Amino acid sequence: MLREVSLEVRGGEAVGVIGPNGSGKTTLFKAIAGMLRPKAGRILYDGARLDGLHTSDVARRGIVYIPAERELFPQMTVLENLELGAYVNPRDRDGLFEFVFGLFPRLAERKGQRAETLSGGEQQMLAIARGVMARPKVLLLDEPSTGLAPLLVAEMYRQLARLREEGLTILLAEQQVPLALSFCERAYVLENGWIKLSGASRDLLGDPGIKRAYLGVA
Amino acid sequence: MIPIVIDGIVQGLQLSLLAVGITLIYGLGGVLNLAHGQFAVVGGIVAALLIGQGMHVVAACVLGVLAAGVFGLIVDRSLLLAAYRYKGEERLLLGLVLTLGLSFVVDGYLNYRYPETALTVRLPHPSITVAGITIRTASVATSALAALAFILLAIFLKGTLVGKAVRSIIQNETGAELCGINATRTRTLIVGLSAVLAGLGGIAQGLFSSLGTEMGVELTIFALIVAVVGGVRSVSGTLAAGILLGVVNAVASFYIGTYLTLIILLAAAMLTILVRPSGMLAYWT
Repeated sequence: MLREVSLEVRGGEAVGVIGPNGSGKTTLFKAIAGMLRPKAGRILYDGARLDGLHTSDVARRGIVYIPAERELFPQMTVLENLELGAYVNPRDRDGLFEFVFGLFPRLAERKGQRAETLSGGEQQMLAIARGVMARPKVLLLDEPSTGLAPLLVAEMYRQLARLREEGLTILLAEQQVPLALSFCERAYVLENGWIKLSGASRDLLGDPGIKRAYLGVA
Repeated sequence: MIPIVIDGIVQGLQLSLLAVGITLIYGLGGVLNLAHGQFAVVGGIVAALLIGQGMHVVAACVLGVLAAGVFGLIVDRSLLLAAYRYKGEERLLLGLVLTLGLSFVVDGYLNYRYPETALTVRLPHPSITVAGITIRTASVATSALAALAFILLAIFLKGTLVGKAVRSIIQNETGAELCGINATRTRTLIVGLSAVLAGLGGIAQGLFSSLGTEMGVELTIFALIVAVVGGVRSVSGTLAAGILLGVVNAVASFYIGTYLTLIILLAAAMLTILVRPSGMLAYWT
């Protein structure tokens, strides 16, 4: 449940959404992606309304949601999953294959394997890679580090930083708050469906309330 | 014995044409179509009526198959819309009632309006002999038709982007939507395609023996059993189940009798649900 949430992301920015479980992060993302319909309020992208659009139409506009559940196609190969990621722009597919295999060389090694046989970390990479195949303008990343070994998390964020250099806009929900704040220049703190706090990551890192609640420092 | 087995294989292929549609519509739309046999009957009867008007048999059959497809599209965009508004079990149950009602309406209308019409397609040479075994030309034609349809379907599902999108929706509809795939539009396409395949099954029935207006329910029941044994989610499983049950059906009808054969087929379906709930070839799709 979200109430009076007002949030803005500018082109090329990386913005974090942090908050405890059940604070409404996923609800927010699902509303933007067209999987939930807001009872009131508007969601705008480039001046045009997104709310009320079908999920597939939101994706066609270049706003790609990568949910924590990954939502892969389990009995299809890595390659087929990626192909379907590029469903909206099949002509650019070959170049994009090269690009995502450059980001995640592990996927290139596993491209003939079914998605369900991949490890959790590889599945997460595949989910991100499938999203990137759509050549998104905005990436909505929901808890990408869940279930990943720390080394993989670091590697994944390095690749996400590379994507940002390509001009990608990112809205990121992340339980590991220090990670989110070091990756994003701004962040919103969500609690019980309200935006409790927002500001530059630097300021939030110094905020005593944030420190106490999320950073485990007194 | 061999001619009986061959007959069984042919009938099995023909049933698979219907069963695969039930499988696809269930996989994609979550609706078990109880009017699927009627799709086949509509195709066959349209062809029969056109032949009665003096049209060339081949052209009439092609138009009959297309008519079945159009009928499928209309059903998807009208009647089934009501079911698609719901999810999961509610959709399945509403779909059952709606398609059952549709089957009554189609049966009633056709039996009332065209009681004497039946599709019987006779080929110029009734039989050929290969290596001492005499095979009916109709069997060869039916098998060729079904095999071609399945090969094209396999190429579509495995080799084309739209076909892969179809499979992706069956595996994970949310994931497909997130990739920009419009599940609603794809589902309409698949219901139309399934109806085309059913229409082909109807024509095959006319080739093999005869297709009457009253045969819809029977075809639906057999196709449903095949779909269940095949796993209602697996195309290759449906094909394998169709051939297996076709042979069982032919052999059992010959040696035991038709009534007990239906019970044997139902027992096979029950056994599949108990032993392999996801179907004979569940893992290979």
